[in-house]
Amino acid sequence: MIFRPKYFFGETFSGLRRNFLMFFTAISTVAITLFMVGFFLIIVYDVQAILASVKSQVEVAVYLKDNATQEFKDYLEQEIKSWEEVSEVVFVSKEQALEKFKRDNEGSEILKEIQGNPLPASFEIKLQSPEKVEQIALRFLTKDGTYIDGVDEVIYGQNYVQKLFSITAIAGSIAFLIIIMLLLAAIVLIYNTIRLSIHARRKEIEVMKLVGATNWFVRIPFLFEGFFEGVAGSSISVIMLFFMSNYLLIRGEKAIIDTLRVKELAILGSSNVILYIYAGIIVLGGLIGLLSSSFALKRYIRV
Amino acid sequence: MNMIEFRNVSKVYEDKTVALRNINIGIKKGEFVFLVGPSGSGKSTIIKLLIREIPVTSGSIFIAGRNVCNLKYSRVPQLRRNIGSVFQDFKLLPNKTVFENVAFALEVIGRPGYVIKLQVPQVLKLVGLEHKMKSYPHQLSAGEQQRVSIARAFVNRPPILLADEPTGNLDPVNSEGIMKLLSRINLIGTTVAMATHDRNIVNSMRRRVIELEEGEVIRDQKRGVYGS
Repeated sequence: MIFRPKYFFGETFSGLRRNFLMFFTAISTVAITLFMVGFFLIIVYDVQAILASVKSQVEVAVYLKDNATQEFKDYLEQEIKSWEEVSEVVFVSKEQALEKFKRDNEGSEILKEIQGNPLPASFEIKLQSPEKVEQIALRFLTKDGTYIDGVDEVIYGQNYVQKLFSITAIAGSIAFLIIIMLLLAAIVLIYNTIRLSIHARRKEIEVMKLVGATNWFVRIPFLFEGFFEGVAGSSISVIMLFFMSNYLLIRGEKAIIDTLRVKELAILGSSNVILYIYAGIIVLGGLIGLLSSSFALKRYIRV
Repeated sequence: MNMIEFRNVSKVYEDKTVALRNINIGIKKGEFVFLVGPSGSGKSTIIKLLIREIPVTSGSIFIAGRNVCNLKYSRVPQLRRNIGSVFQDFKLLPNKTVFENVAFALEVIGRPGYVIKLQVPQVLKLVGLEHKMKSYPHQLSAGEQQRVSIARAFVNRPPILLADEPTGNLDPVNSEGIMKLLSRINLIGTTVAMATHDRNIVNSMRRRVIELEEGEVIRDQKRGVYGS
């Protein structure tokens, strides 16, 4: 078959002009459904990023008794460092703890109340895998449930850490399911819309086949059209997502950061991942449009 | 040599209806043949088999000496370019003008623009519609619409023209006009086969008549009339 771009583009765009309503319906279907998919994807990515950064801040603080000897401290530091779950151990002396406390509470009334140095020395342990926090904490306990000699207290957010981990696990799998379902719904909706617009032009296909057009000749303008509708619709959804994430989400996140007082929180706008999400949605749109046309045509082309 | 030849052709549809039983027909180049018979006698099936809209169940069909039954699917468009077909419901595209409807037939088989600009007005002149090139189908009478569909079927100058009840939706005056047109096309040397149950037309034309009944040829008569 001779490739004749002028004919194919001409047919594609005159098709678009004549069937404006169908065309408009198809594009808005793609735009709305992929917006939903993208919206959820961004939210999920965002929540995951926030949870991950909260998780990475989980650490075990081991407070030492004031009477702990230097040998004990050295021995404990070596011991902790030898655990493979541990990524970093920092020793905070009583003096450093006081300094930090003063910095954190600068200008506060509480500083005037402090006499001497009531703060304990401690080890701050950062973990390779935050999920193991409880196991690590348990190593500072003796068999009868008291802390080993020299250790005053071990704190790792006992109450919220486990909840946090189970919530992230559940939220992750629910989000995955919802995204898959939204995506399936998007595909079904887009496919049906494109199938309807092809159905509306079945007479044209019939005539083409009747006068001896080859299958590819019939197919190509429809494939162009489906692809174009997919890309146009998904581009619109990306524009909507862009405004939504830039003006709503980032503001929302800043509010979360301010209220939770979590540092180093992953801020959406600063990440490249969102650009991949945008590009993925456009590619997905084009692909769904193209494949929908291709599958929908099968029914009409065999005359 | 026969232009169209049916050898022991049978057609059974998927729902087990027998449309044709062991048909043998030979139509010579340049002949004009009426296929007559009541609805369901198999007239339309013959037309559909010729343009390979449906496959045969058994037997073989030869067009210009070539067996078209074992034609590969990809060769079917080539077959259809050599057979013009006209239907009772015209099959015109409502959103294209008369010129565009006819040009469409040339565009989809890859004819270049200058050929289209030359041949479309020619064939529209042949059917007497050169002054309505820019009209849309809904602005034309039924007779005029059927002329456009004949123009589309003939613009590529196929050696065979098939017509399935072309006058089925037309009044006697318009029907006569269509028959004159088909006669002219036949005179140029085109083989014409027309399925009809219009008694008056068959009787006034005095051409070869093949009568079908329940899928069998019950009469094949030169210069025949509708009913025996």
